[in-house]
Amino acid sequence: MPTPPMPEEARRAAETLRRADVVIGIPSYNNARTITHVVRAAYAGLAKYFPQLTAVVINSDGGSTDGTREAVLSAHVEDSRLLLLSTPTVAAHRLSLPYHGIPGKGSAFRLVFQLAKALGAKACAVVDSDLRSITPEWIDLLLRPILFANYDFVAPYYHRHKYDGTITNSIVYPLTRALYGVRIRQPIGGEFGMSAAVYERYLERDDWETDVARFGIDIWMTTIAVAEGFRVCQSFLGAKLHDAKDPAADLTAMLHQVVGSVFTLMEEYEPRWRAVTGSEPAELFGFRFDVGVEAIQVNVKRMIDAFCRGSRELAEIWAETLHPETWAAVADLSRHAHDPGVPFHIEDELWARVVLDMACAFHHHRVGRGHILRSLTPLYLARVASFVLETESMLSAQVEDRMEKLCLTFERMKPYLLEQWNGRAAPPSASPKGRHAPAPKTRQEV
Amino acid sequence: MVATLQQVLEGVLLRLKHHITTFLPSLLAALILFLAAYLAALAARWMIYRIFKGLTIDRFLRQSGVVFMLDRSGRVRATRIVAESVYWAILLAGILTGLSVFDTQLTTQMIESFVFLLPKMVVAGLILLAGGWLSQYLGRSMLVWAVNESLPAPRRMAAAVRVIIMFVAVVVAADQLNFARNVFLAAFIILVGGAALAASLAFGLSGGATLRRVLDERRDEAGEVREGEARDRSLWNHL
Repeated sequence: MPTPPMPEEARRAAETLRRADVVIGIPSYNNARTITHVVRAAYAGLAKYFPQLTAVVINSDGGSTDGTREAVLSAHVEDSRLLLLSTPTVAAHRLSLPYHGIPGKGSAFRLVFQLAKALGAKACAVVDSDLRSITPEWIDLLLRPILFANYDFVAPYYHRHKYDGTITNSIVYPLTRALYGVRIRQPIGGEFGMSAAVYERYLERDDWETDVARFGIDIWMTTIAVAEGFRVCQSFLGAKLHDAKDPAADLTAMLHQVVGSVFTLMEEYEPRWRAVTGSEPAELFGFRFDVGVEAIQVNVKRMIDAFCRGSRELAEIWAETLHPETWAAVADLSRHAHDPGVPFHIEDELWARVVLDMACAFHHHRVGRGHILRSLTPLYLARVASFVLETESMLSAQVEDRMEKLCLTFERMKPYLLEQWNGRAAPPSASPKGRHAPAPKTRQEV
Repeated sequence: MVATLQQVLEGVLLRLKHHITTFLPSLLAALILFLAAYLAALAARWMIYRIFKGLTIDRFLRQSGVVFMLDRSGRVRATRIVAESVYWAILLAGILTGLSVFDTQLTTQMIESFVFLLPKMVVAGLILLAGGWLSQYLGRSMLVWAVNESLPAPRRMAAAVRVIIMFVAVVVAADQLNFARNVFLAAFIILVGGAALAASLAFGLSGGATLRRVLDERRDEAGEVREGEARDRSLWNHL
């Protein structure tokens, strides 16, 4: 599919600017509250770390009604307050443009990449517009490995609260790492740096009008970079703090789009991941330091209730989607979810099997694909509830160790995935442990 | 007396002979045609199984999801459906051809009626098939959506969607066959009208809170939430 033409306003802007060395893209939709800070950080970062380069900050907006675009255009930084060692040769330009097509982050990025290509940018970075913790250093850390170390793709690495980024922690990171054998800790972080080769590769593809147009864009970008052999690294950015929002809003859509993109890309890159065993760390740049993060409140009871309800009502879908033994373990788990005195717990192996079974059901069209992905929500909430209960008293480092254990389980389950992927086969010899912790307890003992 | 009895018997035997000489060749011809059709049907079914097996069409149809339009569990094989359809079609054609040999008013009427109805029956069957698939698909969509939105009685909502869609399919199929058209049409209008009335009443009585929530969300998205009005916002980001 040929790349669609840029909107008229963007085309005229590109003709006026003619060229740029680097482009910073900021997608937005009603982010007036935070976007000024993000634009100022981007400006300061460009002035401080890349004064010799011509740069453009592009806000790609999805039709905000709260004055986001005006906030972008009015944001300013006084160079004198930055204590610059060298004065920028050319001040960074700034654009705020509406994108066309399917509303979503992916469509916003597409316009940014099109403009970067039109301007002949050597590197491009994208950052979320709801960030409260972004600093000028983020721009340096996302662009420097591209401009001066020949990397093609820079993924973020940050400290987050142990309950933050639960789709990343429970599905996307373990699965992507097990599939492609590269440890990108925040594959859907939202802030990335990339070379011209990478963003031009993205523009060549014809799947922009899918879930990629929305929340699927981050994992799509990371997976392509990893699976197609581009040089990938990570940069430590500190803490990630963002604007508060309703966590229940869009959850099913997010899961559908992110996990749907992972599963779809699994089909495309099957030859690439089939041969991979284990995983290797990706190079990590930046100076690592400990940083405090804001506490996050989650309602565990509500999540367990949602799981029990899903188990009751969605049995017909889960029974067809999950392996019989996985489904039996899940059903057993929901039956005893409210047993007093026994904490709700999903074993890593059961969770890995749930995710892998879903991927295989998606591949084999066992049920409508949309139904498979949407029916994942109650299972995901169950996993989050289990994780929260298990890590309640753990420190960040301990939680990271716990994450590592989960990832190793996913890696160990790769043969199971391959068997299921080729056609339904017997589950691995390990017994299903979807029961409460501690697993060996019987009902009588409880 | 004996002569009369002899005459009657001779008449019966003559009529029997006449019937046998008239219909036996036709019956034999019909049986031969039917037998030929049966053999042809068997051969066609065997060949289809062989050809489809070689082309692994079942695998393709399974992977493309087409087979799930017919059977949600995926156990039904497309090869079997095609082979059995061809088998029965050839057999049916054999029976009709066999009947046409007799060339009587009754058989001619039967064949004419059948030939006239056949396309309509095929179309009606396809409508029912499509309706069945659509009702299953949309029923499941409703079920998953209702569960994720924590709505009450999701299975009943899904069942209602399935029933309504199947009912529409039956109405259209009946209309296609000219079968009890008015009865089905009246029932359909009553059902849809009743459902619309019930939905209006339900929304009027209980939709106020939902409407308020939607309007709040809109206002919130537009950044118009005043201090102290903030809803269930959190720093928890799933991504």
